[in-house]
Amino acid sequence: MCESDFYFFIHKEVFGTGILLLISLAFFISGAVFFTVAPKKASLHYCYVLYAAGAGLSAFSFAEALYGGGAPMAFTLQISPALSMGFRSGPLQDFFGLLLSVAAFAASVYSAGYMKNTPAPRFQGLFYGLFILSMGAVFISGDALSFLISWEAMSLVSYFLVVSDTENETSQNAGLTYATMTHIGTSFIIGAFMLAFSATGSLEFTGMAAGLAGKSMALKSAIFILAFIGFGMKAGIFPLHIWLPKAHPAAPSNVSALMSGVMIKAGIYGIMLMCLGVLGGPGAHYSTWWGVVILATGAVSSVMGVLYALMEQDLKRLLAYSSVENIGIILLGTGAAVVFYSFGQTALAGLALAAALYHTMNHAIFKSLLFLGSGSVMHGAHSKNLEEMGGLLKRMPYTGLFFLMGSVAICALPPFNGFVSEWLTFQALILGSSTPPAYTRVITLLGGAALALTGALAAAAFVKAFGVAFLGLPRSGKARQAKEAGFPMTAAMGFLAALCLLLGVAPGFLLRLISALPFEGLKEMGTAAPIHSPVIIAGGFTGFWPAAILVSMLLGLAIILALAGTLGRKRKITYADSWDCGIKALTPRMQYTATAFTKPLRVIFKTLYMPRKEVRISFKLKPLFVSGITYHSDITPFLENYLYRPFTAFVGKAAMKIRHLQSGKLPLYLGYIMLTLIGLLLAWA
Amino acid sequence: MPLIKRWIEIFGAIDFISVGMLLSVVAMSSSKRIESCLKAYVINSWLLALLMAAFAVYLSIPHLYIAAFFTIAGKCVLIPYFLRKVIGELKVTREVEPYLSTPVSLIISFALVVLVYSFIAGGIFVAGAARNVLKISVSIILISLFTMMNRKKAVTQVMGLLFMENGLFLAGFSLTYGMPTIIELGVLFDMMMGVMILGVFLTQIKKSFVSVDLDKLTSLKG
Repeated sequence: MCESDFYFFIHKEVFGTGILLLISLAFFISGAVFFTVAPKKASLHYCYVLYAAGAGLSAFSFAEALYGGGAPMAFTLQISPALSMGFRSGPLQDFFGLLLSVAAFAASVYSAGYMKNTPAPRFQGLFYGLFILSMGAVFISGDALSFLISWEAMSLVSYFLVVSDTENETSQNAGLTYATMTHIGTSFIIGAFMLAFSATGSLEFTGMAAGLAGKSMALKSAIFILAFIGFGMKAGIFPLHIWLPKAHPAAPSNVSALMSGVMIKAGIYGIMLMCLGVLGGPGAHYSTWWGVVILATGAVSSVMGVLYALMEQDLKRLLAYSSVENIGIILLGTGAAVVFYSFGQTALAGLALAAALYHTMNHAIFKSLLFLGSGSVMHGAHSKNLEEMGGLLKRMPYTGLFFLMGSVAICALPPFNGFVSEWLTFQALILGSSTPPAYTRVITLLGGAALALTGALAAAAFVKAFGVAFLGLPRSGKARQAKEAGFPMTAAMGFLAALCLLLGVAPGFLLRLISALPFEGLKEMGTAAPIHSPVIIAGGFTGFWPAAILVSMLLGLAIILALAGTLGRKRKITYADSWDCGIKALTPRMQYTATAFTKPLRVIFKTLYMPRKEVRISFKLKPLFVSGITYHSDITPFLENYLYRPFTAFVGKAAMKIRHLQSGKLPLYLGYIMLTLIGLLLAWA
Repeated sequence: MPLIKRWIEIFGAIDFISVGMLLSVVAMSSSKRIESCLKAYVINSWLLALLMAAFAVYLSIPHLYIAAFFTIAGKCVLIPYFLRKVIGELKVTREVEPYLSTPVSLIISFALVVLVYSFIAGGIFVAGAARNVLKISVSIILISLFTMMNRKKAVTQVMGLLFMENGLFLAGFSLTYGMPTIIELGVLFDMMMGVMILGVFLTQIKKSFVSVDLDKLTSLKG
């Protein structure tokens, strides 16, 4: 009857750079197929090489599209005459596609070495490929239907990757939390799309944007709130982040790199798409309070995220909390941009948005690097617990170096990329004092203060992470026998570390790409000249010269080394025991532990942390002969205790009440059906 | 043929036959033995086939003959044969063990018919030969659903399901004057498969719970 149930339709634009994208898709699909059919397990790492090739090609294609300024590709899957799924990439999509491709390239190279110690390599390899593909599909979806299908695919595939360690009960629980939260988020997103669809009659994002242009502010605000909660759930904004520190560490490290580096950016993408693309658009009127909501959420997320990161002893959980922090920083920029747009200050808005986009790309790079590094550490030292590491720098020099570079970048220190984006965010927030009403002036400045606090605390957190894990003496036998990771793993980390440095020294390159995005005020950001000249930001507000910073830092380092060399030579080194407290050799037990390092902060923020400690003394003979003392200290997870647990308890109780309907008696079930039928009959008549 | 057409009209054969189907359902819902339920089903199916043939003659729709033939083959011969075999293998007691007594079930069946007749009139307007058939078919569906609720044995649930399906078939072709043959065949085939699967299920339930008493299934609830 229906002669074309399923056909495939590609516009002519595909023969631009889009053809590369198709080839990369073919690489991914063949990689996934090989994972299922490859005869020998030993040959499985070649499949990751296919993935890496695909990701490299697509990175090139997206970057080319951004430089060229044209849409590389648009195609429609016609499912039935009335239903189609559109895929169309514009500059915003290309930017996030580029971000995905870069992270996926490094993670795939890394996986070729890492897969040896995963329990189910075939399963993980297949789902890893599907995960990347579904994220790509999310980024290039042109309408709500294809977006939701890709979004669900992404969530489900990542759920399976989180629970892929089937023996481990923690990761099963983490998977459950993740699946629940992500589906609640998706329901909010569906709500936003349905509201927009009912108002405009269009499922396509471009149609939605056109249709919403003249609609009432109340409707737009409702869509904004639904979309912000839904996408914020995926991005991991503060009160909704609860799944993130559970799920990300539970997945294998190559996957957690992609989850933290890219998947939560899908939430950012959604917020930007709905808020700036669909509800905004050129000449649209924004509500100031949208921006204020985003900004405030960003400030809270960044401070709370880093505070919890500080208290973590588990390396991967620390990194996951740090992702919450960085999402907060990105939202600070995005929120400031919306506030500025609402007052028509497009140049400032462009600055803030460029800062947010720059940080999005940066975080994808250094968070992937740090997660891959933590994977190498786990691979080498067989532990996730910081208290069992120590002294790894001598045993794993390359991993240590790259992890250090990532840490410096994430602490926003020059000459690395984190500095550029956080500096831009700072500038945008401080320049927010030029907005007309007093309350936005105060709020943007408070956002700046939150960012400053976050930066300092992040530095403390990563000094702790790097210092305790890599410096000092090994704290356990596992750490003493740690081995350096193999070639593909270090190469992948080296690639990302080099990118961190490159984007920190030559921001002009990425700013040029960002300026291709179709938001007002961004165009001016790209006029900044080539790599070597000072980068002047946004209509001459302010500027800096990253290359000069690098040169002066190198000079400063050289001077210090020279001074140390000349002055230090005259000193005679004497060895004495006086600071050993009477103990001859320095032992690992004398070092600062991760917990001890953060003790001052635990005292300062004790109202937030509500630290608990418990000392248990067991006696041989009371009260003088003590056989052992155990000391236990942790912090109160107040969100779990005071928000989520009461809520789940309530849902559980309600479910138990409703459960009486389900008696297990067949006649009763038939009775329900019959009552429904009779009810319908009555309603019909 | 024109003569037969005329007789069908004069004697109101279509109404008579469909009322016969309704009566056979009521008989099923109030009978106490599984064998009589099965007999009521065979009668019901024969009447259904007859009604199809009558429609085929009266409205000159030749493909309804085919449907009638397959109804006879499937519902009057094969399904009863298979069910008899299953009942024999299961060695269940012959009583149907309803929850409610026979008079009460009769009253409820009566109430259901009244309900349908009083409410469906305003809904869909069906003119012509089939003007009463829709009401009767909905009554058949509801009464057989009620019978399923009322019985404890899994075998009688299957009987209720089969009656319900006859009712649906009746509603289907009275509204459309014959669906495409391929759909009718498909439905019949589904029915056959359904009965076979249910037969297997029944033996499995018997094995696991030592009885086909549905009250025992409550223990499956977690």
